[in-house]
Amino acid sequence: MSTVDIATTPSGSQRSVETLVSKLRRRQVVGSRDAALETVLVLRQVVSKARFSNIDQLVAIIRSVGRRLVDAQPKEHSVGNTVRKVLHHIREEYNTASKGTAASSSKVTYTISNFVLQGQPRKQTVAPKSEAIITLKENDPDDPDSFSRALKPVLMEAIQDVLDELETVYDNVSKNAKDHIHSDEIILTIGHSRTVESFLKQAAHYRSYTVIVAETGPSYKGHEMAQSLSAAGISTFLVPDSSIYAIMSRVNKVIIGAHAILANGGMFAITGSLLAATAARVHSTPVVVCAGQFKFTPLWNLYHDFGALDFADPSSVLGFEEGSLVDNVDVLNPYYDYVGPELVDVFITNDGDHPPSSVYRLIKESYDDDDHEL
Amino acid sequence: MAPAPSLPVHPPNGPTQAPADASAPPQQRSQKQMTKAERRELQEAQRAAKAAAKANAAPNGAGGQSKQPPKAAPPPLTAAARKPGKLADPVLKAPSTPGTGRQAHARGAPPVAESGPPNARGLRIFSHFGLPKPVSVAKGDIHPTILRLALQFSNFKITGANARCIATLNAFKTVIQEYVTPPNNTLSRHLMTHLNPQISHLVAARPMSVTMGNAIRQLKLEISRMDIDLPEQDAKDALCQKIDNYIRDRIIIADQVIEETATRKIKDGDVILTFARSSVVQKVILGAMEEGRQFSVIVVDSRPMLEGKRLLSVLSSAGIQCTYVLLPALGSVISEVSLVLLGAHSIHANGAVYSRAGTALAAMMAKRHSVPVIVCCETYKYSDTVQLDSFTKNELAPTTDNFSSFPLVKSRDALLIQNQINLEILNPLYDLTPPTSITAVVTEVGVIPPNSISSIPVALGRLL
Repeated sequence: MSTVDIATTPSGSQRSVETLVSKLRRRQVVGSRDAALETVLVLRQVVSKARFSNIDQLVAIIRSVGRRLVDAQPKEHSVGNTVRKVLHHIREEYNTASKGTAASSSKVTYTISNFVLQGQPRKQTVAPKSEAIITLKENDPDDPDSFSRALKPVLMEAIQDVLDELETVYDNVSKNAKDHIHSDEIILTIGHSRTVESFLKQAAHYRSYTVIVAETGPSYKGHEMAQSLSAAGISTFLVPDSSIYAIMSRVNKVIIGAHAILANGGMFAITGSLLAATAARVHSTPVVVCAGQFKFTPLWNLYHDFGALDFADPSSVLGFEEGSLVDNVDVLNPYYDYVGPELVDVFITNDGDHPPSSVYRLIKESYDDDDHEL
Repeated sequence: MAPAPSLPVHPPNGPTQAPADASAPPQQRSQKQMTKAERRELQEAQRAAKAAAKANAAPNGAGGQSKQPPKAAPPPLTAAARKPGKLADPVLKAPSTPGTGRQAHARGAPPVAESGPPNARGLRIFSHFGLPKPVSVAKGDIHPTILRLALQFSNFKITGANARCIATLNAFKTVIQEYVTPPNNTLSRHLMTHLNPQISHLVAARPMSVTMGNAIRQLKLEISRMDIDLPEQDAKDALCQKIDNYIRDRIIIADQVIEETATRKIKDGDVILTFARSSVVQKVILGAMEEGRQFSVIVVDSRPMLEGKRLLSVLSSAGIQCTYVLLPALGSVISEVSLVLLGAHSIHANGAVYSRAGTALAAMMAKRHSVPVIVCCETYKYSDTVQLDSFTKNELAPTTDNFSSFPLVKSRDALLIQNQINLEILNPLYDLTPPTSITAVVTEVGVIPPNSISSIPVALGRLL
């Protein structure tokens, strides 16, 4: 498997991979959705130009590309998630095409999760892309490209599916927004999450309510959120994060966004989310998290790692204008908080609403076990 | 009062009035030919027109619902609200008076009023928060010391419960020394009336703190107990001596006792967390430093006041190892903390602590991680009211001058966020920490668990 490496990745797509790698390393790609979109586009190019004669070679190509992308920016989990999702779709398409059955996996293992999955009426497989059964000749010595030629159109459609899902994330998450918010509610949100923003704006078409935005220091992203919401006609309050506990007794719901959702149901979210979620738990206020499916990560023990919370520039906390202090004082500026699954009540995703306890099942359905470690 | 105008959407005379409305002057039949009802309507219309003309001259009748873009409809609406029973016609007639001919708006005015209050309802629950008012022209003759003090309060140059109380008492000492009892009056009776406008001026600058309130109440008690026969200068000196004693006993010495008690709670190797800046906590930490304990401090700070920076500079220049974080980062550092020290603005009979906004969050997070929370508080901060949440009594910080509290890395135009339509900026200064989040309160009469706070007056021998 290691013989098939970047050497077989054609140079055109290699360039695009390198571009994305350097963009990720320099943090020029900001935001989990943008990172996921760029990853899908790069993978589409890689697959379209790749040359492979059996499925394992293709998987190895994609995994090596994915490993490079993830190593460039390990804190941006949506990159790895997208790679895993593409791999999952590719394997499914391959299984459908080669077997012609609706079996989602070639091996049948007797595990609790399979047992549980069998009872679920949820979508188990993607509908077969092609009606005709493609005859796939793997490792054909005469015509090594026949396999890839036959399979590629189907794969490109699968990747296009992933791309479409990413592009319509905001609309799908906001679909049932008006069912979650009733009139005259007071909602608390923190920072600037575009998913939450579209969710609230969609609900504002049907309901009139108030939003309190906690600017979260030191990025103060809440300011942009407050301006955007008030421009959309929602009555908004902007408060500093010190007053989150003070106003929590009047807040009906806390709606926040996530950066990455871990397999145990916990999540990484912008700093201040832990304060808001804990204060909400103390006041028995429901905590709702709006996130796209691409944020679900199969890893879960990341929060033990102190460095897992990305750190940002300390000069926004204590700048060099306080020169005498800067020498003697340690300054911390974590960018994310880890919020445990016991603090979140529901995840609203483009695929429906899920409680934190069923996140592990979603992850099992969306990704393949082999891909947890790229 | 405001919802009332919205009720008669179809006023009893509506259907007949509306068409008459459309053609601006109704058919001018002579008075004799008009029916009695029509004559009455005409009378009411003329009366309403006069009221509307007056209301348009003073369009400030909108009151708290000023969030809506002011149309001609709301001001005549609220002016009409003051004349109950004549709501129907003014609603329809008034807009035609300014001659704009917005008949459609006139009929739309009741529904507008309906959507007005609900739109403003979310904004109204915060309307009681005391907004800082500019210090107005002093009424009566206010002593210049008090004038200066009021300016310092309103510009937040003097902040903190202890600092404000000491400054107030010192200012009153000056006022008392310069006071002259008018003839046919006794000091014990007239001095009180002399002081009252000064006190009101201070309250107008910034709402009074509980410490100031307790101190002033004690002062008034002392004044009323003054012996009538004492010569004036002796009485004044005695009063100033009493003020000095109060400051010394209830604040200075109390702080020393608290410092000694709380320092015993700090062990070597501790990581102490504190929020914003409390003068008592600063003394405790410096005292522990002088005793040679080895510990480090995490200072948590937050907008709008960002007072933690002052504490940080004092502690780090004393040689203590400090870490500085903003409040949202609290979740990341709390696992390292062994003790949380907090100050208070006031403590209440149920054990709740009213303190700088953000203290409740620090106490809550600490409690969840089983870190002891100690509140250092003098007994004169005790208030026998019971406060249940941070809403009933709070104060807002002025939203101007944001530049000093934001990091320089943010561009200036990003910081020029102001109240716009649909957007309001609130900076509450205080919040209430419930007694469940507090482990112990250290006062000069001992270390008390939060649910026994109401025993403080008993412990002091009813001095309060």
